[in-house]
Amino acid sequence: MIIDVITLLLTSPILQRALLASVLVAIIAATTGTFMVFRGLSFLTAGVAHAALGGVALALFLQATGIVPWFDPVLGAVIFAVFVAVMTAYAGERGIAQKMEVAVGVSFALSMSIAVLLMYYLPPTRIPIIWGYLVGDILLLDNLDIVMLLGVAFSLVILFILFKKEFVYVSIDMEGSKAHGMNARGYNYLLLIFAAIAIALTIKAVGAILVYAILIAPAAASNEVMKTVNNVIIGTFIIALIAMILGLSGSFIIFASPSAIAGIIAAVSYIIALQVKRYKRSK
Amino acid sequence: MATTPLIEAENLAVKYPEGDLALFDVTFSIDSTTFMAIIGPNGSGKTTLLKAMLGLLKPTDGFIRVLGFDAKREYKMIRKMVRYVPQRDQIKATVPMKVKDIVLMGRLLKKPPLRVASGKDVQIAKDALRRVDLENLWNHPFPELSGGQRQRVLVARALATEGQIMMLDEPLSGADHDSQVLIVEALQEYYNENQVNIIMVTHDLNPIHTLVKDVLMLNRTVMGIGHPCAVMDLELLRQVYGPSAKIVELAGHKYCITGDSGFDHHDH
Repeated sequence: MIIDVITLLLTSPILQRALLASVLVAIIAATTGTFMVFRGLSFLTAGVAHAALGGVALALFLQATGIVPWFDPVLGAVIFAVFVAVMTAYAGERGIAQKMEVAVGVSFALSMSIAVLLMYYLPPTRIPIIWGYLVGDILLLDNLDIVMLLGVAFSLVILFILFKKEFVYVSIDMEGSKAHGMNARGYNYLLLIFAAIAIALTIKAVGAILVYAILIAPAAASNEVMKTVNNVIIGTFIIALIAMILGLSGSFIIFASPSAIAGIIAAVSYIIALQVKRYKRSK
Repeated sequence: MATTPLIEAENLAVKYPEGDLALFDVTFSIDSTTFMAIIGPNGSGKTTLLKAMLGLLKPTDGFIRVLGFDAKREYKMIRKMVRYVPQRDQIKATVPMKVKDIVLMGRLLKKPPLRVASGKDVQIAKDALRRVDLENLWNHPFPELSGGQRQRVLVARALATEGQIMMLDEPLSGADHDSQVLIVEALQEYYNENQVNIIMVTHDLNPIHTLVKDVLMLNRTVMGIGHPCAVMDLELLRQVYGPSAKIVELAGHKYCITGDSGFDHHDH
């Protein structure tokens, strides 16, 4: 059975794309997910993902009504996601942490309302596309999806090689970073905008509902047990990759959605990490 | 010869981000080089004034200059000269940083991106950590330190940083007694050895009043300014802190008893 799966993986272009996408999603988790956990902004990931869904619905509506026929759902997703991320960062700058939470919550609600509202005005044949973004399917990715995921994952890797220290400093001491003359504001927006683009592109592969599980849970798990920033990043990559690959192969054995299985494994990894930490402490 | 004042404020008014007036009609001038304390009760605008100096909060009226640079427009020049110790709780413990990462941060923040620590940076950082008696915790995880130790690490970060103005926001608040003594000694030593200005926001003048040169007493506007003894006036203290304020003399030094907890922005 395992051998069959492996042979299939190596020969089918659908599975090759899915496998590559798994690696790219793991890279996005290791960068974006890790820093969302560092920043204490993990809820923003869920907010941005659901906002992206509103963008998808709007794009489909503009396409179907012929108002803007070229408007791709992915473009809608990215625009909405970036908008929410920027609004949240702006609310945070106004000084009050609770405002960020409220800003995310309101954009979340607004985007979902737009999505549900527009569903009534879409041709019934287009509605499954919205559901596709809600639950995701890594086996339905086309070449363009892969190219876009590859682009954002590559950009994130470059950004983190260049500015990892800046992102860390913004995460632990925004005010001190500003006071010492670093452009903390600029790096904060840079990080959040790229995170939003990455999340928007990830939802087609894993689904808006499961983005949180797959991008955040591995990072939270890794952050419980690892002792340096680099190790947290590497740990997150490994956990996310294992979850994605097991999800993909598991889906052939029990006929369930790959991202659902991956989400469960990622969430369980966090529970295991908590146990490992407790065990280490008690020693 | 007329020199540029360290801090010069005129009719300064600053609002909190929520919109309430934090400071109004603040006018004063302090000469360089000094060890200056900004004191006042909870919510008197001490931290706000510090943030206004750094251009982190913009004046709604008036201006404030630091060594001649306007904090609203020329904050970049000011921040180049500043080493800053934020309130301890500002540092997030969600990132697995080692003590050395925090101390080196001050030096690396002044460098262009990639911000690689040189051998000299490491040497200076270790030396700074020695001054607060924590050199043996170089590789220790920062989030696992006690409150007083964290405070000392943040002071070490400022000691290791470049810049002729050191600004500290409540560096003694919530620290154990030994940590307080170590921090005060390190600051004193550093101030005596180097031509640096120290501006310290504190709710409690007593631990530092023998080494402070200028005191600015705030209660949303300037209540008093001058040498510590001039500000330690019973009438003035009662006016600012309420009728329970006292001054006691012990071994030739005056101490203020204000009943102020000092936890301005902390939820304890």
